[in-house]
Amino acid sequence: MSQEHAFVLPNSGHNFDAKSSKMGMWLFLYTELLLFGGLFLVYMIYRYLNQDAFLLASFELNVWMGATNTIVLLTSSMTIAMAITALQKGNKKLSITLSWVTIAAAIVFLVIKYFEWGAKFEHGYFPGMDHYNELPHGERLYFYLYFFMTGLHAVHVIVGAVFILFVIRGIQKGKVTKDRYSLLENSGLYWHLVDLIWIYLFPLFYLIH
Amino acid sequence: MTVAALSQPNFFQAKKGIASWLFTLDHKRIGLLYLYSIGFFFIVAAGLGVLMRLELLNPGRDLIDAQTYNQVFTLHGVIMIFLFIIPSIPAVFGNFALPLLLGTDDVAFPKLNLISWWLYVIGALFALFTLFYGDGPADTGWTFYAPYSVRTGTNVSMTVMAAFVLGFSSILTGLNFIVTIHRLKTPGMGFNQMPLFAWSLYATAWIQLLATPIIGITLLMIVAERVLGIGLFDPSIGGDPILYQHLFWIYSHPAVYIMALPAMGIVSEVIPTFAQRTIFGYKAIAYSSMAIAFVGYFVWGHHMFTSGMSGPAGFIFSILTFFVAIPTAVKVFNWVATLYKGSISIEVPLLFALAFIFNFSIGGLTGLVLGALATDVHVHDTHFVVAHFHYVMFGGAGFAFFGALHYWFPKIWGKMYNKAMANLAFILLFIGFNLTYFPMLIVGIMGMPRRYYDYLPEFHEMNMLSTFGSWIMITGLIIMIINLVVSKQRGAKVSGNPWNGITLDWQTSSPPPLHNFDKMPVLPEGGPYNYPDAISTHEEKEKKDDE
Amino acid sequence: MASKENNNVHPEHEHISSYKEHFGTWVGLILLTLMTVFVSAFGADLSTLTVVTALTIATIKALAVALYFMHLKYEPKVYRAWIIVVMALFLFFLTMVILDFTTR
Repeated sequence: MSQEHAFVLPNSGHNFDAKSSKMGMWLFLYTELLLFGGLFLVYMIYRYLNQDAFLLASFELNVWMGATNTIVLLTSSMTIAMAITALQKGNKKLSITLSWVTIAAAIVFLVIKYFEWGAKFEHGYFPGMDHYNELPHGERLYFYLYFFMTGLHAVHVIVGAVFILFVIRGIQKGKVTKDRYSLLENSGLYWHLVDLIWIYLFPLFYLIH
Repeated sequence: MTVAALSQPNFFQAKKGIASWLFTLDHKRIGLLYLYSIGFFFIVAAGLGVLMRLELLNPGRDLIDAQTYNQVFTLHGVIMIFLFIIPSIPAVFGNFALPLLLGTDDVAFPKLNLISWWLYVIGALFALFTLFYGDGPADTGWTFYAPYSVRTGTNVSMTVMAAFVLGFSSILTGLNFIVTIHRLKTPGMGFNQMPLFAWSLYATAWIQLLATPIIGITLLMIVAERVLGIGLFDPSIGGDPILYQHLFWIYSHPAVYIMALPAMGIVSEVIPTFAQRTIFGYKAIAYSSMAIAFVGYFVWGHHMFTSGMSGPAGFIFSILTFFVAIPTAVKVFNWVATLYKGSISIEVPLLFALAFIFNFSIGGLTGLVLGALATDVHVHDTHFVVAHFHYVMFGGAGFAFFGALHYWFPKIWGKMYNKAMANLAFILLFIGFNLTYFPMLIVGIMGMPRRYYDYLPEFHEMNMLSTFGSWIMITGLIIMIINLVVSKQRGAKVSGNPWNGITLDWQTSSPPPLHNFDKMPVLPEGGPYNYPDAISTHEEKEKKDDE
Repeated sequence: MASKENNNVHPEHEHISSYKEHFGTWVGLILLTLMTVFVSAFGADLSTLTVVTALTIATIKALAVALYFMHLKYEPKVYRAWIIVVMALFLFFLTMVILDFTTR
């Protein structure tokens, strides 16, 4: 094929274009926001219909674990943002370290989540368990939404962490560099989204009073 | 008009072999992959439609029993909506034509584009899979209304997962198009120099992007409710079925515009080409696409007037619904004004575009009947609704799809179909279509409910007419498909630009080379539809007369 | 134009946020978090106001994350316009569904 006769824009889809990839990432984040938006809508309606039950059920959650997780996520958000700064300034090593810190925070978050969920399982609060089935309907809805929403969020935490891991390899291999940091930036954007959603989940489930 | 040097291999010749198709990153090939897969499912679902009409030929049980009928209309709906009409124009012609219209070599994310097609295939397989195990395909209707969708023993979960995966495919296509339009317009082309099909795809893409996630999460909740038995939407265990309807229609009403807007884009391409005249009100048409997309988000409640939604909410939704009519009418008037004093050549694509305007007007006006609170109560869930949305979806979007197929056929294959056969097919389709669906409007007003395999004797004549219509229509379809398939193999070769179009897609050879353009395409001066001989304004005409 | 030359490196002057800015944002976020937790844990009873307060603070935090961590402040205007549209749509969905449930 004689490609020299072809008219191809420099930022064509077959080349690399930092702006396109960032725009694509933002658009994807909007869909994620609305995906959780649907769940928030359901939460709002059922909370409105079952105010007392939601309050009662929320006492079963451990505020301190939730708060710790909030701080862990916020911190990880800062470290990944700094990792981008570091790479932009050409400090590859610091960037990799900060990315690893972010992944470590993701793991801490999931471990705390594991213990939280574990405690609920022990007491039979998971949908379908005996104790759950004896609860009044409003509380059942609360726990259903709690598991659904934090579960879906946890899936996003895992995806985000794997994404960052993938990017770290890219930095090591020299595919993600000072001049071409889109991938790191996008993984960061995704990670911040995970944080954003948790910022709303935390007060809605843990801080009802 | 520059036509590429003959030495360049076209995109069919550039690579060979099955894998070069299944894993292609070329937008033109992906568009064709969509065309073949979507065409297959359209034929399947059209067959189911004919089967339903056959059952309704006479009152009572003729062919299939009530339960089978329920499953047939569900499958017909699911396939037609999620596998045909939503992806149809954007995925097939959007993929094929958008980069050509923008004068660029591909979409912004070619790999993502391929992934979208594969997700489509996976979703389609899920939907087909429901046929072969357990109690068969879902019998809920394509709306999956709770609580029935939670309780029925048929394969609702699988069908719903199919819709979920297809939703993902749709989101990724939309995302791709938005970035493409923002980033990959050819040098010199701004938003206001874009062809109108690109505008309508842009508006569509925003709906795909922002509405689809809501249905995604809702469908996941249906699956969770079925598996875990939580009363989220089932009132017997404390859920609220109307909340499900809200969530469902928050997506599914805007989705109607995913189907209609690209069709309007096709009409806006076809009419100026065959009138050889500047489009009347370019900006009005472009911005009304955005307006329809925007207003489309605010009107979902008009599907729920009789379902127990509150009075004030119904009132607001009814008012908002009427606003959609405004930008739609703006388009129709502009199309008609474009034809005025144009040098019209009656070709098959134009016939389909005109049929679109005719059918869509009937569909739109009957829509106003349904959008008004008071009248909706009487015709809700009758055949009137069935006829209304077939006028909009099939008579509108479906006809535009066929029109686009005939419009870009010489672009895609570099050959021309048999025009006499195509005209015949069009006439049969148009007559058959109206004969099938117009009687439904009448029996609907008389009170015949939808989704029953049986009906009262007084509806018999109209139903017979309708079934006869479906036979004419299917004959037209078969002739059209055979004509196109045969012409693709044996049609007469045509020049790169048989319609004398001036949008950029006609500035390259037909079929286009792999990279679309050999050199930078030249934008027509003074707007995308500024035909050299066109008389665009009254003043210009007078000036010309004076000379 | 050859296809492979001019591989797009970030050509325009991309804003590089300082470590200091990120750290400052983080401090603000943590303070807001602690505030909500303590108010909630040690019983400041604001009854119906609680949801509104909680969501307001959450929104301030979300804005901080979006503007500074996600660099939204330094992106082209259109990004901010989009997110406003997305949020407005969501709020409309929420308002209309709540309206239905409260006026039934």
